[in-house]
Parts: sequence; structure tokens; C-alpha cells
Amino acid sequence: MVEQTPVQIYRDQLKKRRYTSGGFYLRMGILALFLLVPFLFPSFKTVDLAMKIVIFASLVASFDIMLGYTGILSFGHGMFFGIGAYCVAFLIGKYGSPSYINLVLGLLLAMVVATALALLVSFISLRVKAIFFAMVTLALAELAIVLANKLSGFTGGEDGISISLPGIFSVAFNLGEFMGFDVSGRILTYYFILFICLALFLMMLRFTHSPLGRVLQAIRDNEQRAVALGYKTFIFQTIAITFGCVTATLIGGLYAMWVGYVNPESSLEVMAIMLNVLLMVIIGGMGTLYGGIVGAAFLLVTQTFLPDLQHLAKDLFPQATLLHNVLERWLLLFGVMFILVVIFFPKGVIGSANEFIARRRRSAAESP
Amino acid sequence: MTETAIQRWSKELIIAGAFIFLVLPLLGMSFTTYLTLTIAGLAMGMLLFLIASGVSIIFGLMDVLNFAHGALFAWGAYVGFSVFGQLSNWVEAPSAFQNLGVFLVAIVAAMTAVAVLGIILERVIVRRVYGNHLFQILITFGATIVLVELIRVVWGPNDEIMTVPLTFRGNWDILDVIIQKYRIICIFIGIVVYAVIQLVLKKTKLGTIVRAGVENREMVQAMGHNIFLLFTGVFAAGAGLAALGGLAMSIFSLQVYPDMGSTYLLFAFIVVIIGGLGSVTGSLVGALIVGLSYNYVAYLVPWAAAGVNILIMIVILLIRPTGLFAAGK
Repeated sequence: MVEQTPVQIYRDQLKKRRYTSGGFYLRMGILALFLLVPFLFPSFKTVDLAMKIVIFASLVASFDIMLGYTGILSFGHGMFFGIGAYCVAFLIGKYGSPSYINLVLGLLLAMVVATALALLVSFISLRVKAIFFAMVTLALAELAIVLANKLSGFTGGEDGISISLPGIFSVAFNLGEFMGFDVSGRILTYYFILFICLALFLMMLRFTHSPLGRVLQAIRDNEQRAVALGYKTFIFQTIAITFGCVTATLIGGLYAMWVGYVNPESSLEVMAIMLNVLLMVIIGGMGTLYGGIVGAAFLLVTQTFLPDLQHLAKDLFPQATLLHNVLERWLLLFGVMFILVVIFFPKGVIGSANEFIARRRRSAAESP
Repeated sequence: MTETAIQRWSKELIIAGAFIFLVLPLLGMSFTTYLTLTIAGLAMGMLLFLIASGVSIIFGLMDVLNFAHGALFAWGAYVGFSVFGQLSNWVEAPSAFQNLGVFLVAIVAAMTAVAVLGIILERVIVRRVYGNHLFQILITFGATIVLVELIRVVWGPNDEIMTVPLTFRGNWDILDVIIQKYRIICIFIGIVVYAVIQLVLKKTKLGTIVRAGVENREMVQAMGHNIFLLFTGVFAAGAGLAALGGLAMSIFSLQVYPDMGSTYLLFAFIVVIIGGLGSVTGSLVGALIVGLSYNYVAYLVPWAAAGVNILIMIVILLIRPTGLFAAGK
């Protein structure tokens, strides 16, 4: 038998543990939960929340490929998300008709545009320093918002574009009852988006665990060492950026399908979307991919129930105006939390949990 | 190594480029409009220089890319706005002396308050993430959220109208060229600040240490200087400059709003990328390029105004990736 390298031994151990570890069942449980949401909680608000968690978790994962695995901060992720949303809206809304072909064409167009733009931005900004990327993408994202607002004849301006979905995805479609539940077009759209997001997520997992992904992590940890080992960092970084951005555009297209309209405010706004994505990735944990699910779930649930919280605070403490002011400025709380997490838990929830489990396993292995 | 043609003729190319840049807009407009726009562009450029120079020096010395600089800029504008509100009868008084007085009081108040804010920011937050670009950007971005939200808590979330001191309003009409008085003041402030920065950097011991720190931080430490104290000082100075820029810009654009920082921070980034991170002269040149081209293009092709600076930035990045005046590293 051929002698195994330590990496191979480690991988074999992981493979043996694959179906017995708690993490596996946790993942399956989460997936089952999202699969069952339309049946367990058929209210519009809950399904909408679950879908947004799925969409944003995937978006955060695609952002994490750049931030957590490659060490490159982009402020243009919201822009790519918006490009996807707009491309789909153009093809099945403004300049086309709701049909399956146009939907696919819209997503393809989005991918082409995103690839071109991501390559362009990488070539321009990565040549000097990785931080230039943050500055250049910030500028481009701001330009994208201005253009979307100014070229109102083309993009619909501030009003945006409303879209209706083709065939089985349309709101009017109804398959009839299934085990006592209405199977409407919206439910089908939910499952369609859920499965595409799942596929994208698995693809991203594969990407980060491939040899290419290992090189990216090596570059993130020590760029000079990676260069010394003979890797052309520029090419690897460009690949990661393009991959992350194209995935983000696809997710943007799915988002447009779900909410049914796009406008600069909801799909391009750097501050709103970027802020959310950054908060989610930091809370969940950089460089974990799964952190996106935790971060997205936490943030979106909080934001959904924030109005209730505000009412509750007003009812319970009618005198405490300071508390009301702070709750009204919830972004302030999130900002403080963001700073605290960056300082004290730079690994986020998943990263810290992983570390905790690894430490316990090591101490269990040491003591017989 | 043989020189390329571009390197050999670099000086002539720069002069020719500047000449074309300044003369080309004349093709599309009359000479009086051109002069008015040039003065407007110079004024805007000088204000951008105030915020960009802070970003540039802080990066050059501390290797920190401060995304919170825009929020400090907005804080400067709001502190000045409060001072103007408190001393409104001085603002409305017809005497140039009182107007100048309230302007100076506002400048001192804004710069002091924001410099203190900058010191707190540097000591409490930025200090923890030295040497890690990614975390610096993240944490200063978080600080931006907090600072902007605090503006909304203190001054309210709405846009406010900034009043111009009475004698600063109006225009001079010199041979059909309309010149707003306040723009001349802005240009004057910019020149003074540039001169002061250059004097401090070139003629004082402190400036020598700062310049040495930009070149080689470890060596300055090895010579026995407390570089962390220097960092705090430079951060505070950069914050003060941002506050001055914010105040002057809010009078220039006649309004203050909580998000104003992010708009001008973007301009500042474009300026420092064009001029070269770490170079004060580069910031000045970059700011003037951005201010002038923005005004020319906004007059000639209004819809392209937002994109022209980004286009210039991209061209500069392609030709000279480190900017026009790169500071060694």
C-alpha cells in the first residue's frame, strides 16, 4: 500500500466522520427546516423572511469567498447583486416578456456583464495593492447608483421596474391543493430559488475546498509566501473575485424574481445592502461560508421584528424616550455591535464555535 | 536599465498634459464662462484637498486606510452648523468683521471637536488593528455607521440649510466674469492649509519625524521616538483637516446632511488614487484635477459629470498604478 501523506490521513478521518458528526445533522436539519417552511408557517411574512434568509445567506457566502477566503474587501458586491436584478428585470420586464427563455437569458446576460466588469475592476485595481480594490469598487458602486437614477429612460429611474414571472412562477398560477395546502406560483418560486441557492452554495463549498481554494487561503494568510512558492497571486485573486461576483449577480437575479420589482434603492444601494452583507459576514464568521446563514438569519429576523420591539418598548416604558430614540436608530446599535464583534470575536459565531469544538476535541484526545 | 520614451520625456509630457487639460474645455465654451468654471473648480478642488490630504497623510504614515474620514468630515460640518445656529445674529450681521469672527469661531470649534473625536477613534478603535488592512477598513467602516447615526441622533435625520455669513454672499463682477466671493475664500483657505502643511513637514523637527515615519516606521522607532504618540497626533490633525473641509464644503453647497461624508469620502479616495497615497502635493494636484474636470464636464456634458472622475482615476491607475506622486512605498 502506498504511504499516505498527513493531509490524506486527515481527509480520510473526515470522510469517516462525515455521517456521524453532529454538524452533518445540523446542516440537514437546517435544510429540512427551509424545505418545510411553506407548510409549517404558510403566512406571507414568514415565507418571505425564510426566502430572504436563503438569498442573503448565499449572497454573504459569495462575499465570503472574496473577503474570508481571499482577503479582498469589495464594496461593489451590492452593485453586482443589483446588476443581476436589473438584467433579469430588463429581460422579463421592461424590454422583454415574461417567459422561461427570457428568464434564463437574463441570468446569462447578468453573468456575462458581471464577468466583464469583475475582470476589468481586478485588472485596474489589483495591480498595486489589494486595498485599492475596496476604494475602486466603492467609487464604481456609487457611480452605478447615480447612473441607475439618472438614466431613468433606460432603468426606470427611482421608480424602478416591476416584473411578473412566467408560467408556473406567476402569482396567478395555482396547481391546486396538495395534502391540504395551496400550491401556488409563489410556493413553486420559493422552491425554485431555494434549490438554485442550494446548488450555488454547494458549488461555493466545492470551490473553497478545491486546491484552488487552498491557494486562495494561502494568499490571504501570507501573500509574499504564496508569491515565493510560485503562485501568481494576481491571477488567483482575479479568479476568486470573478467567481464571487458572478455568483452574486445570479443571486441578485433570483432576488428580483422573488420581490417582483427592482429599483436603485432596494437592489443597488451600497450602504443598505453592503452594510447588511458586511454585518452578516462579520457576525456569522469570515472564511466559513456557513457563517452567512447564521448572520443572515440573525440580522433579518431582528430587522423584521424590530417594529414589534419598538412598540413593546413604548408600551412597557412609556417614559424612557432615550430608549425609544436608540431603538429608532437601530443602525447605531448594529454599528456598535459590528465594531465590538470585529475587535473581540473576529472569527464570528461559526468561527468561534469551530475553534471551541476543535479545542475540546484536542483536549479529549490528550486525556485518555 | 534603459529609459523608456515616457520616462525620458516625463516632465514635458506632464506639462503638455496639464496644458491640454486646461485649454481643451475652451473649445466648448466662452472665455468668461471658462474663467467662472475654473474658479469654481479650483474652489471645489481646494475643499477636496482638505479632506484628501488627511486620508493621504494618515495612510502614508500609519498605513491605515481611514474609511471613517467622511464621517469626521460630516461631524465638522455639523459642529460648524451648530455654531452658526448659536451665533446667528453674527452670521446675519452686515459687518465683515463679525462674519469673519463667527467663521473663525466655527472653524476652531469644528476642528477642535473633531480632532478630539479623532483621538478617541484612534486610541479606542484603530489602534487595535494596526498592520491589518482588512480589519482597518472594516472597523473604520463600522465607526462610520456609528458616527453618522450619532449625527442623526443629535441633529436629527433631515437635511438642514446652511447659511452663508452675510458679507460672504454675492458675487464680484470683474469684466463680465462672475466670481462668487466665497469661492475665493475657499481657494485662499486651501492655499493657506497647503502652505502650513508643507512648512510643518519640511521645516520643523516634528515634520521631519513624520516624513521619516512615512519612509520607514521601524527606523523612526529605533531612533527613540514614540511613534504611537505621533500616530495619534497625525490622526487628530487629519481629523481636524476633515472638519475644516466639511465646514467649508457645507457653506459652499449651502446644506448639511448626515450622509454627506460618504459622498465626499468617495471624491477623496479618487483624489488620493490619482495623486498617490501618502503625498500631500499629490493630494493637491489630484484634488485640483478632480475639481476642475468635474466643473468643466458638468457644464459641457451634465450627465457625464459623475463618471468623469472615475474615468480619470482608471486612466491614471492604468498608466501609473501608484498615482502621480507616489510616496516611496
